[in-house]
Amino acid sequence: MVFSSLLFLFRFLPAAFLAYYLTPKKCKNLTLLLVSLIFYSWGEVRYFPIMLSIILVNYLAGLGIGRWRGSRNLCRGILAVSVVFSVGFLAFFKYSNFLLLNINALFGTSFPMLEVTKNLPLGISFYTFQIMTYTIDVYFGKIEVERNIIDFGTFVVLFPQLIAGPIVKYSDINRELKDRRITLDAIQDGIVLFILGLGSKVLLANNIGALWTEVESSGFAGLSSLGAWVALTAYALQIYFDFSGYSLMAIGMGRALGFHFPQNFNYPYISRSLTEFWRRWHMTLGGWFREYLYFPLGGNRVSRWKQYRNLFLIWFATGLWHGAAWNFVLWGLYFFVMQSFERLFLRRFLDQHRVFSHLYVLIGLQISWVLFAITDMSKTGSFFSLLFLPHGGNDWMYYLRNYGIIMLVGVVFSLPVLNLLRDRLPRLCKWLEIPFLGLVLLLSVAYLVDSTYNPFLYFRF
Amino acid sequence: MQKIKRYPLLILFTLFLFATTVADMCANNREFSEMENKYLAQKPAFSWSQLFKNQYTPKYETYINDQFVGRDWWITVKSVSESAFGKIKNNGIVYGSDHYLFEEYQTTDEDRIERNIGFFNEFTETYGKRVPVTLSVIPSSYAILGDHLPAGLHNVDQRAYCEQIRPQIEAEWLDLFPVMEQAAVDAAAFNASRGPNEEELLAYYRTDHHWTSYGAYRAYKAFVESRGKTPVELETLAPYLYYLPDFYGSYFSKCKLYSALPDTIAVYDLPVDSVTVGGERKPTLHNAAQWEVRDKHAGLLWGNADVTVIKSGNNLEHEEGKTSRVLLFKDSFGNSFAPFLTYNYDEVYIVDLRSNLTPVSELMEQVAFDDVLILYNFMTFSSSADVARITY
Repeated sequence: MVFSSLLFLFRFLPAAFLAYYLTPKKCKNLTLLLVSLIFYSWGEVRYFPIMLSIILVNYLAGLGIGRWRGSRNLCRGILAVSVVFSVGFLAFFKYSNFLLLNINALFGTSFPMLEVTKNLPLGISFYTFQIMTYTIDVYFGKIEVERNIIDFGTFVVLFPQLIAGPIVKYSDINRELKDRRITLDAIQDGIVLFILGLGSKVLLANNIGALWTEVESSGFAGLSSLGAWVALTAYALQIYFDFSGYSLMAIGMGRALGFHFPQNFNYPYISRSLTEFWRRWHMTLGGWFREYLYFPLGGNRVSRWKQYRNLFLIWFATGLWHGAAWNFVLWGLYFFVMQSFERLFLRRFLDQHRVFSHLYVLIGLQISWVLFAITDMSKTGSFFSLLFLPHGGNDWMYYLRNYGIIMLVGVVFSLPVLNLLRDRLPRLCKWLEIPFLGLVLLLSVAYLVDSTYNPFLYFRF
Repeated sequence: MQKIKRYPLLILFTLFLFATTVADMCANNREFSEMENKYLAQKPAFSWSQLFKNQYTPKYETYINDQFVGRDWWITVKSVSESAFGKIKNNGIVYGSDHYLFEEYQTTDEDRIERNIGFFNEFTETYGKRVPVTLSVIPSSYAILGDHLPAGLHNVDQRAYCEQIRPQIEAEWLDLFPVMEQAAVDAAAFNASRGPNEEELLAYYRTDHHWTSYGAYRAYKAFVESRGKTPVELETLAPYLYYLPDFYGSYFSKCKLYSALPDTIAVYDLPVDSVTVGGERKPTLHNAAQWEVRDKHAGLLWGNADVTVIKSGNNLEHEEGKTSRVLLFKDSFGNSFAPFLTYNYDEVYIVDLRSNLTPVSELMEQVAFDDVLILYNFMTFSSSADVARITY
């Protein structure tokens, strides 16, 4: 089930929240666990046992580490088993065919592709990362062992963030799992975030993204340079609003349930360096890699050579996390290269030149989205030549006629305009808030009823 | 009261969510959407095996979407919003000037075209010595009314494709591009000087992908002239003509543009001796029951059937003691076209290969034809897999 569907909005959401609010405080987690399991199974009932086994293994690992805290080797062994088990499923489902494909290409063998792994278990990349934060943190003694399996299961399958993030660490919400206050203020704040997220996804991402999909499905034949830039900009806006919209909906629902999930996007397109971009884009993923890969490898506190090796590793992993294909690896390594340049000399220059730094980020990101969006790498080169060598044509007129206004709206909302307005004109904003949100909600429902294009982009993650 | 003031959004949102949910659960299911001209999904039967194959839940979601309370109203809201955003297309339909709707058609299936050429040629090789075979491709409205297309939209160049197809065709080729262009020019000239009570003349509908009866007549005229015959004059058919206003065609059903201008269908209810549709005798040439619903075009010649036979005494060139016959292979464009042929042939046989059950070879054995016409719209020509049946 995806949030941006009528079934979710007008069946699951009212039923789940009603059940949750009516449940006495002691049993709220159990209710949450049950509705979340229904939510997950609806989309992918077959892979339910996999999730269940990962939950059990990590739960037991936590107990084990707590029990034999004194024996370092034993604890290390338990941690290793749980990590290998969790990552193993992810690796098997996500990367085995990719591996076979590369082995076949490299050695001329012809291993058949595995049929089982054709579909990735829903949300596996997200919940594997979430669950690992628990066991690793328990191992390092940062948090207490969770003995209540219902509370632990609730943390893992919590439906708002289960399938598309944000990646919530156990330590983010462990206190709220035990004791949280649900206030009317929090519910109302959650509704605001949810509606904004829904609008981002349904009104902006879907409507703008249709242009990219249209251009991509025609195989870029006859596309003009201007048309290519317009289409690529549409993709940049789509991926931002799609992803941040999902996160906002998740955070909003979390708030209404009494949780505080971490922020996931903070106006990434206003960044002045690509390093800064990654502190504003999918912040919980960046945070995860920093905390659980970069720092354990030594982070910045090692020799220069090792620092860059560490950077290389986390960008390689970040790329691969987004999809099992070389274009995603290339996309990750592109950020490794750019971030290295920024560290070496570019950063100082960017800090001093405001306009240039924004241009640099925007163009730098557009280039990264080409690598990200086009999975068929034989077409990547020709798309770059469309972008940077002049190709005539007036197709852009048609694109702008259809998508110009909505893209402009997208650009405006990708800047912190709403925040600015709220600071400058608080009275007016208070008046306009409800009509605005009401309109967004009504239009979102209308677009869902007559939906011609409503993709779920994270099936690959 | 204090709470209402403090939590207006919370209250409104909750009311909206629950009221809509309850209303949606209570609303009656509809079988068919007149507005969209499509059958709506019904509640799927539950089975564990379907659930485990991940086949049940997508069906259930489609059901919820199709049966959502106030569906038509929501669709109109979206259409208004799309226009507010300046969009000139929805669901693959493009809004041209002068209220014309067109299809966005940017790629075509070249393999299918090649294969269909092969099937038509096989038919011509088999029967061409016995009976003259003519083949003609009907251009889509955008290919004729290009001036009305928005700037920067580059649809498939149907004329260029037809120029490529032409030398490969073994049958006689009837080029309808100049014919339909002239029809559009003549229609525009007529409209410029028409009286206040006269109906507007168009070669193609604004809200539908078909040609109008006038467009079909012009193609009929071109065909019979190419066979050395004299066409009936359209004016002489005026006694049989009536109009069906408020026709919202297939393009409208797809884009549901709230400001679309409805078309008028000119129905020529020509006198006939008998009409047999798929082996069943019909009392009239057209299915008048269909005039009451949205998809009026499907009433012409009772829609698409296996084999339709029209017998009449209309033939202007009738020879005593001889029964002349024509065989028409067609898509739905042929339904407004075929009746005119009664003025040059005693019997008109019409075959729609898409619903064809009778083998074509059987028909060719049993009935002696004087002419065969294969008449396909470009889009059917380049997409229909049923063309293969012409060789069965």
